[in-house]
Amino acid sequence: MDKLVAQYSRPPHQDEFYSEQEQRELTESLPPLSLKFNLPPVDDSRAFLRAMTDDHSNPNCPIKLAHGTTTLAFRFQGGIIVATDSRATAGNWIASQTVKKVIPVSRLSRGEDKPSNEPTPGLLGTMAGGAADCQYWLRYLSQQCTLHEIRHKRRITVAAASKILANLTYSYKGMGLSMGTMLAGMTPQEGPALYYIDSDGTRLPGNLFCVGSGQTFAYGVLDANYKYDLTEEEALELGRRSILAAMHRDAYSGGFINLYHVKEEGWVHHGFNDMNPIFWKTKLEKGEFSNVTSEL
Amino acid sequence: MTTLTGQPSSEAIGYSFSKATSAPIREHSFYPYTDNGGSTLGITGSDFAILAGDTRSVAGYNINSRYAPKVFKIGGDDETGEGAHILLSVVGFAADGQALKERLDAVVKMYKYQHGKPMSVMACAQRLSTIFYQKRFFPYYVHAILAGLDEDGKGALYSYDPVGSYEREQCRAAGSAASLIMPFLDNQVNFKNQYIPGSGEGHALEPKKPEPLPRNTVEQLVRDAFTSAVERHIEVGDGLQMMVITKGGIEEIYYPLKKD
Amino acid sequence: MTGFDFSNYNRNAALHAKGVPLPKATSTGTTIVGCIYDNGVVIAADTRATSGPIVADKNCEKLHYIAPKIWCAGAGTAADTEFTTALISSNVELHSLSTGRPPRVITCMTMLKQHLFRYQGHIGAYLVVAGVDPTGVGLYTVHAHGSTDKLPYVTMGSGSLAAMSVFESTWKPNLDRDGAVALCAEAIKAGIFNDLGSGSNVDVCVIEKDKPSQLLRNYIKPNERGQKERNYRFPKGTTAYLNEKVITKEDMKKYVTIEEASGDSNLMEVDM
Repeated sequence: MDKLVAQYSRPPHQDEFYSEQEQRELTESLPPLSLKFNLPPVDDSRAFLRAMTDDHSNPNCPIKLAHGTTTLAFRFQGGIIVATDSRATAGNWIASQTVKKVIPVSRLSRGEDKPSNEPTPGLLGTMAGGAADCQYWLRYLSQQCTLHEIRHKRRITVAAASKILANLTYSYKGMGLSMGTMLAGMTPQEGPALYYIDSDGTRLPGNLFCVGSGQTFAYGVLDANYKYDLTEEEALELGRRSILAAMHRDAYSGGFINLYHVKEEGWVHHGFNDMNPIFWKTKLEKGEFSNVTSEL
Repeated sequence: MTTLTGQPSSEAIGYSFSKATSAPIREHSFYPYTDNGGSTLGITGSDFAILAGDTRSVAGYNINSRYAPKVFKIGGDDETGEGAHILLSVVGFAADGQALKERLDAVVKMYKYQHGKPMSVMACAQRLSTIFYQKRFFPYYVHAILAGLDEDGKGALYSYDPVGSYEREQCRAAGSAASLIMPFLDNQVNFKNQYIPGSGEGHALEPKKPEPLPRNTVEQLVRDAFTSAVERHIEVGDGLQMMVITKGGIEEIYYPLKKD
Repeated sequence: MTGFDFSNYNRNAALHAKGVPLPKATSTGTTIVGCIYDNGVVIAADTRATSGPIVADKNCEKLHYIAPKIWCAGAGTAADTEFTTALISSNVELHSLSTGRPPRVITCMTMLKQHLFRYQGHIGAYLVVAGVDPTGVGLYTVHAHGSTDKLPYVTMGSGSLAAMSVFESTWKPNLDRDGAVALCAEAIKAGIFNDLGSGSNVDVCVIEKDKPSQLLRNYIKPNERGQKERNYRFPKGTTAYLNEKVITKEDMKKYVTIEEASGDSNLMEVDM
């Protein structure tokens, strides 16, 4: 009898609280490309956002967002090298020295790096500009890439993935997003492919990019020593050295050097290393950075 | 007499601050934020995490409240927070912080009712990020720290900026006295700028390796961080609310601070 | 009055117009009070100096000497109160020397207001002037723009409202010395605990007829810092260095005389 009652009666509070629809809206993540963002109740929400968060035009703005970076990526005969610093700044404040600015955009093992040196299939995205913008939209891109993989039974090309991101940033143009990102990956259709996408809606394929406040310093070293025929060893060292130059001269870059190598089978992580010992090693063993004195 | 006012002929001088600021700031407009001051901090250990915050709430030079908690239990069964397994601290604009806490609490509870299991801290951390980002164009004026135990039972701590960028860390200070507390934590928790005496000459000197600290040490560090911040920051004081999460549950400790 | 140098005025005005922020002057938040009693006057102040939200000095002196029986409590820009009172103190001394009489509080107050009015509020000194002279007891407030008040009890600074609430609720006429001191201290304490710009200790100055003035420095210390729980002394060799150069005591003796101090020479002096 009890069983029957349980079967046909409803739980006592079933109709209270949120409806199914409301629950879904509360818990589900954003549907793709919807503009379901909360907006301030003012005529010009862009001006409002700028006044509240743009520390460049107003250093006294109340909300300081995490910014600042040097990132680089380049193609060479053995694939693509991706390297970044790890500093996040909010105004003059160093918010963090341990940011992971290379974000794997792939279905497999998205979050953590595998301890083994086995390549992980998928794309890599880099993050420059607003930290939250990059994290959120690269995650969104990851989602889209996974859906693509499920729908078409093959991995998405870098061209297509970059186009998804560029279309996205273009649709939000002028709203105040801030991101300069590079997508690197290798697919059977394209081989090694590298794209630059930013919050203006720009999307460029290329061999070599540096992005962020320290880009000029990184370009200086990278352009001087870059050749397509670099060996894997040389290419990794060049990536590391270029980031080091930028970290040395750009106050908004620093912390750790994050190095990745994209190969045919996927990407390989080559360490997240403190810049300080690397700097002194470079100076003392190779005689570079002679502008810095180690004498009293 | 010549003056330099009016046309910016001095643009060419190129002071480093020459374009630090431009147009004068808007005089009168929609301003929905207040800074309620205060500070929070979180440190993790091998099998616990601590979140702490002072309990003062200010507006300008006035004290709104001497006991306004900044650390909350998330996902508890009732208003006492019984059964919660995640902690959240919010500092900045208290109203936004309150709204954020209630939103996350609802989400974590809903997750439990729908899936029949508690939300993992990792999942909660990601979800909190999207909650922040949904207000990307009208941000929560809040610096949040989330704490709990991860799948391996280790202390987990995630820190957020006002629009949702987040990172897992060993320790983090937020709020008005963050610039006073964070360098202390870098030095005492992650042993930054500390080397092992006599471990080598010059560049061979080995840095002191950070390792998870015991709970007693962490509690002492938290109290020292706050009593020191109270000395030098006017918005920090009155009381220290500490929440310690272990596999045995959440323990709340209150410790009085100076009230001036 | 000479002494102010305006040579950077135009440059700074131009920079400011371009948006360069003015350098921050120390201390705007303060509580200072004054109260007369049957045979004299009491002034009191807190001892916190701030720079924005940061406490610049935990135990500064806000009670300034002007003449042996005229003292002044200062709020506003720390440097301005310091120098203005020092300047007027000098002039009062000279004036008293030339007239051969003890200085009067009203004279001092008038000199202050005329000086401050000339600078149209740009000298950010907000003062409570108190003293005893042959005409009796004097207690005045002087605002930065030059206005003054004469009242039986006064408060100034960011904690003035908190302090005034104490006076308005508990002040009564014909106080004695101890009553006035206690009342002023209580008013300062209200400022210390309820105004973020004020804090730390209570300083009191009592000026009584036919008695030397008494400066009761740190009359009440309601905010002593507790013991730190951990020891933050680093073992020797913790800090990395690039190079070392040892200068022996013998080398130094060529240039200076050296005296041996007691204590462990390996320990750095640390403020605990």
